This record gives sequence, structure tokens and C-alpha cells, in this order.
Amino acid sequence: MALIYKHLRWLLPLLAIIIWCLEAGYLHYYEGLGIDIALLDSSVNMLVLALTIWGMLLVVNAYPTRVGATLYALLIGSFFAIAAGFITWVTLKFIFRNQDHSYTDWLAYSMPIRYFSDWLICGWIATYSAIVKEAETIEKKFLKQNDLTNLHREAELYKLRQQLQPHFLYNSLNSISALTMIEPAKAQDMIGKLSDFLRTSVKRDGQERILLDEELQYIEAYLSIESVRFGDRLHIVYEKNYQPQTEIPPFILQPVMENAIKFGLYGKIGQVEIKVFIRQQDNMLYISVTNPYDKDNQPTRGTGFGLEGIKRRLYLLFSRTDLLELSKTDTTFTTTLSIPQTNA
Amino acid sequence: MHKVIIIDDEPLARQLIRALLQPHAGFEVLAECADGFDGFKAIQEHSPDLVFLDVQMPKLNGFEMLELLEDKPSVIFTTAFDEYAMKAFQANAIDYLLKPIAKERFDKAIQKWTGMAATEQKKNVDTLQAGIVYEGYQHRIVVKDNGLIRIIPAGDIEFVEANDDYIKIATKDGSYLKKSTLSQVEQSLNPQHFIRVHRSYIIPVSQLVRIEPYEKESHLALLQCGAKIPVSKSGMAKLKATLGW
Repeated sequence: MALIYKHLRWLLPLLAIIIWCLEAGYLHYYEGLGIDIALLDSSVNMLVLALTIWGMLLVVNAYPTRVGATLYALLIGSFFAIAAGFITWVTLKFIFRNQDHSYTDWLAYSMPIRYFSDWLICGWIATYSAIVKEAETIEKKFLKQNDLTNLHREAELYKLRQQLQPHFLYNSLNSISALTMIEPAKAQDMIGKLSDFLRTSVKRDGQERILLDEELQYIEAYLSIESVRFGDRLHIVYEKNYQPQTEIPPFILQPVMENAIKFGLYGKIGQVEIKVFIRQQDNMLYISVTNPYDKDNQPTRGTGFGLEGIKRRLYLLFSRTDLLELSKTDTTFTTTLSIPQTNA
Repeated sequence: MHKVIIIDDEPLARQLIRALLQPHAGFEVLAECADGFDGFKAIQEHSPDLVFLDVQMPKLNGFEMLELLEDKPSVIFTTAFDEYAMKAFQANAIDYLLKPIAKERFDKAIQKWTGMAATEQKKNVDTLQAGIVYEGYQHRIVVKDNGLIRIIPAGDIEFVEANDDYIKIATKDGSYLKKSTLSQVEQSLNPQHFIRVHRSYIIPVSQLVRIEPYEKESHLALLQCGAKIPVSKSGMAKLKATLGW
């Protein structure tokens, strides 16, 4: 079967030629036409039919429809069948205008059967191609759905990892362990911060959209822990300009911040400044995060979700591919998120 | 007095080790370093008896730093990394401590070290193997160049050539020698992008311009940099498999 599909474009003309020969033979031997008339008649018939089918396929493929695919195809097929029959009739009449009446009479007599066979062929081909096309659309939809499910699963996993954050958690506990020996009061403070962070992680489970303020608080908790771990190396500069009830989907901004930390803090030494600019314009919320980076020293180990994951997630949420922008200079890396505000 | 150096990018983590080491007599912390570069310099300067080494650090990670040292010290790793990665080098390392570091565990490690013979203490982890398990294929190669440390991103490599005990790494800024073998380099680089086309050569697929027939059963690969690299019969088969010809 696959072999037939593969050679379809060779098989179809071959099939046309065979039918053409059969038709000529039939006209000559059974209808008693002269061989020249039989050949000419069948050639015209075949040619017109081929052209019609070609045109019809163009139409079927070019115009999507909301009507049921088969009904639509049948209508188109019928229309082209009538056209094919009519053109055949006119052409043959014109070619044989100097012949005696016996041919034209026979032609008129044979028209119904010609219309009928044209209709069968056009209808069949149109329906078939419409069904194939519909199958393709369904498959595409299915694939997108599949991708969505996969991404959902990934996000779930990410969320789980996020809640536990093993690496982050172990390092924080190690810092607390150090603080209990050096500065017990600070250790208590750090435990409070860590608990706040973990509590919010658990609470956020399953929310579709969250308040931007909440997300920022959450990130703030995360960053304050990082500041304890890395001393006062980390500075975050905010510029906020948005309405108080602004909401964003979860797990979009947070991975961006983590990325900035990873490149900016883990990958560099000395003071690190990360800038977060948030502004709202018309129905779009722009969040850009700028971090320094060392181009000789890209940190190891992705979080698994990464920028590609954010991009895909944005696409699945908003069906747009231009919502994540990256730009870098020799020393800084900027990630800009655009989040459409539907209810603004 | 045993000379100790602590290398970790988190100040509190360094202080914890210092504090845990306090009760043990006979140890002196000579230096604390926050990245692999500083660690490398400090180890060369002080030649310590024992190093506490974190793995994930800016500039040079712990494995890369060790790789550069000709006279490797004995090392106790400290890391928050998953146990499965740790298993890869626990067989070779003196010891490893998982963060958060527990006091008993720390004391055990110190006892283990002090109990070892001096020669045993020097026994070291196979850094290359551990590096691959730790972070997958390497995307850079670290070399020493006239006393400086140079980090070559894998994308800058034009080709790698075996040269007796050394390997020569050719880049557009010149070539560097490193004490290593071609097999080690071959293992550490992503085989999707780097192919050993010959007993003495590894080339990046991205550098390939064309392949010309050469002598019987062998070919020459023309690279973007202009170099012509011999391709053996088995090298040709690998190229074909990778490029999907």
C-alpha cells in the first residue's frame, strides 16, 4: 500500500492512459465509430477530465471549509463534473462540426452517461482528497494536543522539583548548619526565610494564573536565601510599573529568574547586579531581566526546563512565538517576556 | 601541622568546614578560595596536604581545576550533588561529603584521611570520568598556556591532534598543548559533534567542508580553517554514521 502511495503521481497518468485506451477501444469496437473518431473523442474526454480534476484538487486544497468535508467535496465534485461534461460536449461538437449528423446525434445520446461517469470520478477523487486532508488536520491537532500534554507533564515535574529543589535546599541547609555555629540568630532568620519559601511553593500548586505581586514575593524569598548563601554579592534592582491586580501564568518568570541567577551568580565572582524591569503598555505586560554573564564561563547543567521550555509554554498558552526575546552584549544577558493581558 | 585549603564558592560553606575542622588538632587552614582559578593558584603556592573541594564553582569547576594540576593534592569533595553522581567517583576519591555536612560524617572523613598512608592519600579521582558523569559531555577544554589558564569553548576547536604524550588543540587563535590522550578527549566531547576520524585526529563535524578520496581506502577531510586531515577507513564509517549519509 505504501508503495502505491509513493508512486501515486506516476500511477495516476498511467491509469489515465489505460482508461483512455480502453475508452477508445470501446468506442471503436462496440459503438462502431471509426478508429480516428474514437481516438479523438476519447482523447478530448480524457484531457478535459484530467484538467478538471487538476483544477478541482486545487480548489479542494486551497479553500478550507466549515461544512462537513465529505459534503463539501461532493458539491465541488458535482460542479466540476458538470463543467467537465459540458466542456467535452462543446469541444467535440466544435471539432466534429463538419461531420454528418450521425456522430452529433450519437454524442447527444451519449451525454447522460458521460455526465454520470464524470460525476462518479470527480466525486470520488474530491471526497478522497478531502478526507485525506481532514485526516492530516486531525493528526496535526492531535500532535499539538500531545505536545501540550507532554509540556503539562514537564511543568508538573518542574513544579515538583521546584517544591523540593533538592540542590538548593541542601545548600541552604548547609549554610544554616554553618550559621548555627557562627551566628545562631542569623540561622533562625534563615530558617524562617526557607520555610516561607517552601510554604509558598506548596500553596501555589495547581493555580492557573497568579498575582504578579505574589510571584515577586516568592522570588524575593528565594533571592533572600541566595543572598545569605553568597554573602552580599547579589543585588537586585527593580523598576515596577504595573497595575496592582496584574496576573501572570505561574512557572514563567521564576525559571527566567533562576536562569539569571545561574548565569549571573553561580557563573561569576564578585558583585553581581540583576535588574528587573516590569512595565505595562496597552494590553501587554513586559518583564525584562538583565544579568551579567561571563562568556568564557557558561555554567553547567541545565535545570531541564530552561528557556526553550518557557518559550514552548508561552506558545501553548498564547499561540504566539514572539513572546520571549533574548539579547546579549559582551557582559550582560537580557531576557524579555511579553505576557498578553486578556482581562486588562 | 597538616596544611589545608578550602575551596567553595559559598562563604558560609567554607566557614562550616573551618568550624568542623576546629576540634581536630594538627590542621591549619592556609587559604580559602571562592573559585577554581584561585584554588589552582593557592594549591600551587602552598602545596597543601588536604583540600576540601566543591564541584560546582564559577570559572573553573572542581574537576577542571584538578585536571590542570600536575602534582595533585589529596582531595575530599564537598557537594550537594545527587548521590548517583557521587557514586561515580567515590571509588577513587579519598572521601566525599554530601551537603548539608553532618559533624559525624565529617569527623569520619578526617579520621579516614589521617589513617591513610602518605602514598594512599595521593591516590586521586579519575577527574575526567567523574566530570562526564557529573555534567555530561564537556563543552570546553581547559589548558595551561605559558602559566596562564585558558578555557577553550568546544565550538572554537578546529581539530585535535595526538602528539606523543600531549594533544594539540588547534583553534583560530592558535594551538595549545595539553598533557592528555586523544582517547580521553574523545570520551569527554559529545560524539554527535566531534568525531575521531583517524588514530591521531579528532575533528568537529561543523568544521567539515568536504571529503576527498586520497590513497587506497583512505580520505582527506578539508576543514574550514584550511587544514587537511587524514580520514581512515573506520573514521569514514563513523562520519557516515554521524552525518547520516
